[in-house]
Amino acid sequence: MKSEKLKRGLLVALVWVLIVAFWEGSYRIIEWKAYVFPAPSHILDSLLNLFGMKTWFGDPVWLVDAAGHSQAFQRDPQWPLHGQDLQVTGSIWNSQLLEAVGISLFRLLIGFSISLVLGLFIGLAMFRFKFIDALLGPVFLGLQTLPSVCWVPLAVLALGINETGILFVTVMGSFFSIAITLRDGLRLTPTIYRSAGLVFGAHGIKFYTQVMLPAGLPALASSLRSGFSFAWRSLMGGELIFVLKQEGVGHLLAVGREFGDVGQVVGVMFIMVLIGMAADRFIFAPLEKKVQSRFGLGG
Amino acid sequence: MSSNLSSKPNHPSSGTRGKVEIQGVSRHYPGAEKPAMLDVNLTIEPGEFVVIVGPSGCGKSTLLSMVAGLAKPDKGQVFLDGKLIKSPGPDRAMVFQEHGLFPWLTVTQNVEFGLKMAGVPPDQRREASRKALDLVHLSEHTEKFIHQLSGGMKQRVAIARCLVMDPAVLLMDEPFAALDAQTRTMLHEQMQELYVEMKKTVIFVTHSVAEAVRLADRIIVMHANPGRVRRDFRLNLPHPRDFDASDVAYYMKTVRKEIDDEVNAHAGASRRVSEGVGSYEI
Repeated sequence: MKSEKLKRGLLVALVWVLIVAFWEGSYRIIEWKAYVFPAPSHILDSLLNLFGMKTWFGDPVWLVDAAGHSQAFQRDPQWPLHGQDLQVTGSIWNSQLLEAVGISLFRLLIGFSISLVLGLFIGLAMFRFKFIDALLGPVFLGLQTLPSVCWVPLAVLALGINETGILFVTVMGSFFSIAITLRDGLRLTPTIYRSAGLVFGAHGIKFYTQVMLPAGLPALASSLRSGFSFAWRSLMGGELIFVLKQEGVGHLLAVGREFGDVGQVVGVMFIMVLIGMAADRFIFAPLEKKVQSRFGLGG
Repeated sequence: MSSNLSSKPNHPSSGTRGKVEIQGVSRHYPGAEKPAMLDVNLTIEPGEFVVIVGPSGCGKSTLLSMVAGLAKPDKGQVFLDGKLIKSPGPDRAMVFQEHGLFPWLTVTQNVEFGLKMAGVPPDQRREASRKALDLVHLSEHTEKFIHQLSGGMKQRVAIARCLVMDPAVLLMDEPFAALDAQTRTMLHEQMQELYVEMKKTVIFVTHSVAEAVRLADRIIVMHANPGRVRRDFRLNLPHPRDFDASDVAYYMKTVRKEIDDEVNAHAGASRRVSEGVGSYEI
């Protein structure tokens, strides 16, 4: 069983290596326009650049004029690599990319926390009070379908181009979904827990803390999971459009586009996916799985 | 086993606790043509093992919910030891069909839940749950979570959860319906032992006549459309019963046939009526 899994994993890795090799190789042979679509080496090059390292996969990386301005972006599609390997030009730890990741994660933490508090509060209220559900349910369902970048113009006009604006976009992009997912999840919570709680003497606040809250844990876990991915997407959309002094990961994407560095564009996209996947895989999916297996659902 | 049949009194001395009176209870759902339950009257004596049997829709589970205080009659009243039942209380504990144990708690924590809600200190709770789990032969599984137990074990935990409350009445809503036949028989035997030991009023709802005959001192047969009491059988067989002993088997067979006839006759009639009118089902 385990060796079969390992075999399959190795096969998948092998096929990916082949795909990347074919991708790089065909670029070297055909010499397509590197600014339209990057080769793997460009992406790696740009990423290592963002990490404060200079590479000679392609050469020169930047053409710099006499005044010190970057003039053009060009790569030498020569194979094999030139003699030198990597050269660290700055510390990795204060590199542009890690700094941007730190800034984005900090924004995410604040934005996600706010939308979590709001979303859980309103989701619970919608579950508990029919009137609130009738009032807000359809609106939330509608707003949940609105792509989060569509909040950007409103944020710019109402709040200005600042941290508050970006926070607004992050919160708006995620909290409707958290509220709706929580409400729907709680609705699916078996009513037998309520009955059992009442029969065995859970009244008032104890009923909520000892029965409804733990009974709603699977719902809470799924709403956390989907809420996080909404918050991350919204933040990236916001950072792509907002130009602030503190440059987040989304901003690196915008910079890549402005400089025509398609390697950076795709590289940063890759980083975004990586962060989103890592959070889901190492925090939210295990959390959801743990709750579900405790409840005897799946797992 | 058969020696158990001889000397035990049919109603263990149970004191005065656990008298349930159901008086003129009706229930009518808005928009429904017929009432779901019509003028149900029933008095259950302390220490009696009463099994309510009937087809789905006869209101037997609703009746149990009313005694539990989870549902309210539209008309009529339910009393426990002379006190009107308005809400759930620690004097009534319930075993649900789908066990209703809390998956986020261990076996011990589930059993202690009612005591915890009542504010009983932890060491007393632990002692009570240990005793209750001993009674249902589960002392080796106290730290497990619910999903790690088999169906039969879950229901035994659910019973232990009731026992620690020392209720006046034990309510059981088709508790063994989802179990396989072998497990069910085992639980029927354990239930009998427990009943002899704890001397409590038990109201047990089932749709299985066989189960009713195995367990009951008294069998209430209910019919649907509208839900009402049709027959009230008394079984003078001591507990615990050896289901295979010839006299017990004969007695059970006789009573069972009588009830089956009653249920089938009515079900047939009801079906004919429903075909004619075409507006409701049994």
